[in-house]
Amino acid sequence: MGGRPRPRFRSVWVFHVDASACNGCDIEVLDVLTPFYDVERFGVKLVPTPRQADALLVSGSVNRQAVIGLKRVYEAMPPKPRIVAAVGACAIAGGIFYDSLAVYGGVDKIIPVHIYIPGCPPRPEAILFGLGQLLGLVNKKIEPRILYPGRRVLDRKYGVLFNERLYKDLRYYLTRYVGYYDRDYILDDLLEIINSSRTVEELREKIMDKASRLKDPRLREVYSIAGGYIVEKIREETGAV
Amino acid sequence: MAKYFEKTDKWVVTFKYPLEPLEPPRELRGKPEINPDLCIGCGACAEACPPNAITKEIDYREGYAKIKIFYGRCIYCGRCWEVCPEGAIVLTNIFEMATPSKDDLIYEVNLELHTCSRCGRYTEFTERQVHRAYTLLTGIPRERRKELLDRMFLCRDCRRQVFSHDALRNRRTDKYGRASQTPF
Ligand code: SF4
Ligand code: SF4
Ligand code: SF4
Repeated sequence: MGGRPRPRFRSVWVFHVDASACNGCDIEVLDVLTPFYDVERFGVKLVPTPRQADALLVSGSVNRQAVIGLKRVYEAMPPKPRIVAAVGACAIAGGIFYDSLAVYGGVDKIIPVHIYIPGCPPRPEAILFGLGQLLGLVNKKIEPRILYPGRRVLDRKYGVLFNERLYKDLRYYLTRYVGYYDRDYILDDLLEIINSSRTVEELREKIMDKASRLKDPRLREVYSIAGGYIVEKIREETGAV
Repeated sequence: MAKYFEKTDKWVVTFKYPLEPLEPPRELRGKPEINPDLCIGCGACAEACPPNAITKEIDYREGYAKIKIFYGRCIYCGRCWEVCPEGAIVLTNIFEMATPSKDDLIYEVNLELHTCSRCGRYTEFTERQVHRAYTLLTGIPRERRKELLDRMFLCRDCRRQVFSHDALRNRRTDKYGRASQTPF
């Protein structure tokens, strides 16, 4: 692997290589050239031939056809800085295509890479952040983390009506209705209501009361459906034992 | 003309971004992170991850289950978030992950494996998984619960042995000593 690039370049002229990308990354690379993100304010300029380029922006998982072109482009660059930036999950380690027979899976298996920009595709801001590192404008923010947490898992606190099994049931039920993003805060909210109530009737009233106070009709629907479900589940559980 | 130039600085749309910090939107699917206090090491996220950015390895020698995320391959789909039974893994909205070294893109959680209460070897599940299974037993009828508790702390081999031993001891025979029925 090549060493780190010199900290400051006045202006880096880049050549963009599409080494069998799905075009997602290529569009984001073009995006950073638009007036909105405007990477040219740092002197980064897209050039039409590798012979003028200081840096390569490579996207894609490098399949067997693309590797020929990629090598030729690399050799055509002037020998001095020869910076390579791998843009996207595919260029870093093969991304979603990593176990395909047709791909090499990673630019660094062919040519040395100086900066890795993760994302699928990376946001234009993420590409700006990567190029900013090349130019010495910003420092990297990520570092490896290897954790050894203890042997005890954190237990959730439940009130009289609830237990872990019912919590899981409610969680899967909500996932089916609202997906994982909205599930999390609705679940927290419902758990608070459940833990603060002592009887099933009280719980039922509280959830319906909460639902009627919500503005969003979709949320109101979800609260009343989930409330009905959990009341039924608690009744079943207390009846069985 | 002067008026025109006065107005232009309001029309500047270009980001200041790498020079100024940027607050990404809350819903942005960025770097996935495992909450080390909640993860039980079940490996559901590793099963669900389409590009196998998350892997689960079991190290029987040291006694650890390793849940390892390699951000370089992650496509930020959020399926790990969806399947995690404990709500341990969440996609944060951090996107500033560009780095000159691939080794920076690793996040690893090591969880201790359970040791079998009969033979003392490491099992293929973690201490935390057993703990969570135990908490799930609340509210189950007592006889059924005892039956489960007897086997919960054993490894797979011991469980099989104990089960067949019990079955042999409890088998019913007729007056000539022949097994009259299947033992269970
Ligand atoms: S990283 Fe994602 S967006 Fe970029 S080329 Fe690969 S699959 Fe396409
Ligand atoms: S977001 Fe998708 S690709 Fe990334 S670790 Fe989770 S499941 Fe894997
Ligand atoms: S699915 Fe969740 S609990 Fe299971 S190993 Fe992954 S992060 Fe940990």
